[in-house]
Amino acid sequence: MANLWFVIQREFVSNVLTSRFMIGFIVCLLSTAVAVFVQVDDYEKRLAGYNTAVREAETAAQKWNLYSKIKPQAHRKPNPLGIFNVGTENFGANTVTVELGKPVFELSLPIGGGAPAQKRGSDNPFLEMFLTVDVVFIFKIVLSALAILFAYNTISGEREDGTLKLVLSNAIPRDTIVLGKYLGGMLSLFPIVLMSLIVALIIALSSRVTAFDGNDIAHIVLIFAVSLLYVSTWYLLGLLLSIWTKTAATTLILSMFIWVMLTSVHSNIVAFAVEKLPPYKSNPESAALQSTPDVWDQFKRERDAYIKQRGYEKITHPITWEPKTISTGTGKSTGSGGYYFVESYSIISVDRADTSIFQELLGYQEQLRVEYANKVEAILNKPAEERERNAKFADMLSRISFADTYDFAIGTITGTDRQRYNDFIQNARAYKREIVEYLKDKEAFSSRAWFSDDKGAAELTDLPVFQHQRLSLSESLSRASVDVLILVAWNIVLFMTAYVSFLRYDMS
Amino acid sequence: MLKEIYHNLTTLRFALMVILLPVLFMVNALIYSLGGDGYTTQINDYNRRVTENRKHIVEYADQSLAELALIGPGELPKRPSRLIFCAGGVDEVVSRSIKMRSDGTISRGRGVADEDYKWRIPLKLAYKVESAGTTPTRRVKINWVFIGVLMSFFAILFTFDAIAEERSRGTLSLMMSNTVSRGQVLLGKYLGAFVTLMVPLIVSILMNLLIIVLSRNIPFGSSEWLRILGMVGLFALLVSIFIFLGLFFSSRVSNAITSLVWLLLTWVFLAFVFPSLLGTFVGNLNPIPSVDEISMRRRAQLDQIDDEWREVDDEWREEATPKLKKAPSIEYPSRTRAWAEYFTAIGDTEKQIADQHIDQQLRQVQLARDLTQISPIATFQYAMEGLANTSIVGYVDFVKQARRYRQTFIDFVKTEDQGDPESLHIYPVREGLSQKPVNPDAVPVFEERISYRSVLTQVGLLVLFNLLFFIMAQVSFLMSEVK
Repeated sequence: MANLWFVIQREFVSNVLTSRFMIGFIVCLLSTAVAVFVQVDDYEKRLAGYNTAVREAETAAQKWNLYSKIKPQAHRKPNPLGIFNVGTENFGANTVTVELGKPVFELSLPIGGGAPAQKRGSDNPFLEMFLTVDVVFIFKIVLSALAILFAYNTISGEREDGTLKLVLSNAIPRDTIVLGKYLGGMLSLFPIVLMSLIVALIIALSSRVTAFDGNDIAHIVLIFAVSLLYVSTWYLLGLLLSIWTKTAATTLILSMFIWVMLTSVHSNIVAFAVEKLPPYKSNPESAALQSTPDVWDQFKRERDAYIKQRGYEKITHPITWEPKTISTGTGKSTGSGGYYFVESYSIISVDRADTSIFQELLGYQEQLRVEYANKVEAILNKPAEERERNAKFADMLSRISFADTYDFAIGTITGTDRQRYNDFIQNARAYKREIVEYLKDKEAFSSRAWFSDDKGAAELTDLPVFQHQRLSLSESLSRASVDVLILVAWNIVLFMTAYVSFLRYDMS
Repeated sequence: MLKEIYHNLTTLRFALMVILLPVLFMVNALIYSLGGDGYTTQINDYNRRVTENRKHIVEYADQSLAELALIGPGELPKRPSRLIFCAGGVDEVVSRSIKMRSDGTISRGRGVADEDYKWRIPLKLAYKVESAGTTPTRRVKINWVFIGVLMSFFAILFTFDAIAEERSRGTLSLMMSNTVSRGQVLLGKYLGAFVTLMVPLIVSILMNLLIIVLSRNIPFGSSEWLRILGMVGLFALLVSIFIFLGLFFSSRVSNAITSLVWLLLTWVFLAFVFPSLLGTFVGNLNPIPSVDEISMRRRAQLDQIDDEWREVDDEWREEATPKLKKAPSIEYPSRTRAWAEYFTAIGDTEKQIADQHIDQQLRQVQLARDLTQISPIATFQYAMEGLANTSIVGYVDFVKQARRYRQTFIDFVKTEDQGDPESLHIYPVREGLSQKPVNPDAVPVFEERISYRSVLTQVGLLVLFNLLFFIMAQVSFLMSEVK
């Protein structure tokens, strides 16, 4: 134990006293500070945009007087942990508008008639030519390089200096040396990670708008733990290479080479390969769009059959409706496909008319319309699902590089990963179902307030509001568990290999 | 020098470089000549837009000059760069077209007696600069710029021990005791590293170009070959900068490893942290109004114009007749002139707000870009983008040309209108302009002119960096102690 402590101390002191420690410390702190400063600003902008959107939606909601006119919105609330890891925060839709006859879906091609899921404009898209740098990016790139710089000469360097012989000739067992060197190196990296995160936290908190609750703080602690695990992986890799190679320079060159491959080259090649050879192939989006008018034709047939069955087709009621499908207008690729179906009601002297038959028809057809919108949604959603499956496959392959594994783990913890974004779209769909249930409970479809407010406007005070809850710590942890476990496994494998290699290390 | 090259060839780093460079260049060639976001897709899209636009012009020119004058010439697409595989630049971030047409007809305005009169606000330039990217992941694109960044890394790897190693081995003093001067030693080291780095690079580039030419997806003209040659020159400048930097650190520091550690930290900083971080930082220091603010301001100004011209439902001013009570017609020039004033007011507001907005955006990003040029790697990137015609300067140029074209188009309409004696010559009202069809071939065509002059600044900067680091290395080596 005393031996171990001695080795740790020696390693720690020899690290901390070097210039690389000071430079690494300063580079890490400075770049973290600047990155957080930029990201806090970005978050404030997102929050302001969100608040404006919510306010506007509330103002619009006050004007709803008919059940058929309501268009509740689901807004994506900016995530304060996005300051540490931007992830999908600036990507995809921020607002989903719930309309009963409209499916909720996302397409990559632009679509006419107002897609239900919309993205707020960016203030200056040109700035995207600069890579988004956030804390996690700095950790991923700079901390890993630093870990290598700390580890490369642990064994091969001492061997060159000739001190390794002296160390080994002592009574200290070899396993203690490996463990001591590992712990000593980690001990010197620890303050860098800790200080960087603390600086990040202080800058984030000094802003007026960021407020972290206990849950967020717990998540940040988790980020710290996973970052340490990541740094440890790189350190162990450097240590292992240091055992395997003869000179410190070779170790450094080799590990920097691996560093470049794992941090930036690997995931690009994977993304390209999956794009070229997608494991899941789907019909193009335009084909999906083109098949939707058929579904709506079916809807019309079904409704007309109902009208016939009830014997209403000969009754001239005082209200006419003008059904129309909205064409998508995406140029020649989609033709005249319509992806949703609206009807406008021209009401002729409602106050004197008996609208009971019309109400009965609406009570039947509006629910049917929602069902058909769901069918269209399933069709339109196919391409997005396939894209997602391909993306998941690419993620799986990216995980070979533990730098990407780290990225995924942190994304999951902060709740800014793609999965969490998909959750938002799913929640928006659930919200739509909730609205439909709410209207059903009120028997709104067959009420007079569906189309006219002459005998009392629609009663909407308890209309459900969209909720998109952040994940609790245990939920985040369970989602990130696979990635964290992969990192742990890398650590164990690398440590064991280093350990065994050093035990069999030949001094000559 | 030959000794240097031979020494370099036998090292591990050379082996790694010889494996990595061709692989990357080949991946790059495959991605961009066959990949989905490559040139083929872009040029098809561009051609489609150009034909659609032509159809649009013919359609409206056949109707009448007045219709064409108001709807505008359609969309102005920016020609995709054939060398996008070298440097993506802004072309990978924002959409490459400017819309130049009216947003459709408006009818039944309040206060207008002829309720069915439909009018068209004259054309405006709409800069669609929403982000084009769909992938949420941060991904470094494997293009030539990225490989250039790696080349600078290799330049460090080949020079960090050039002097420090010989010093610690004692061979430096042996060499010095020969008749070789210090300057010659340094030059030999420099040239040795330079040749070792550039030969594999050029071979890999040739492999890359071979794949691209054989795939036949990207047509190459003499201009492309010339620009590629220029890019090789930029590679050479960048590599040379980092060789000097490596020699400088190597002669300053007694231990080769210390020099490598310093160099690596400098490199990580210059390549990854500094350009991106400073870029976004400056962008935030120099805030521009948000999209929401601008759309609010636009709404307010347009409402004000509307109130001024078409006010009727104001209780106190019931007596006052709105200026635009009657629809314009050929018989009543004064009425038409009032409408023209109204349209011009709207058009000017729209023009001013849209132009100002994109100018602010471009200024912001240009400032950020100018400041990041402190890093030679960033300077190299911008020069590459300049040669590939995907740089922000190229985009600014494109915007300027679109504006000039707007003026050319309006001038064309006005001169053409003068030729029709029946016309009232009142722009921009449909009733005030010639109702005769116009020859679509006479309509001026938008032609993009590309200038590569901006690259010269970056080349100058790179040469300056070279000089600076050369002097630093030279002085430091001359003053260094052998022992």
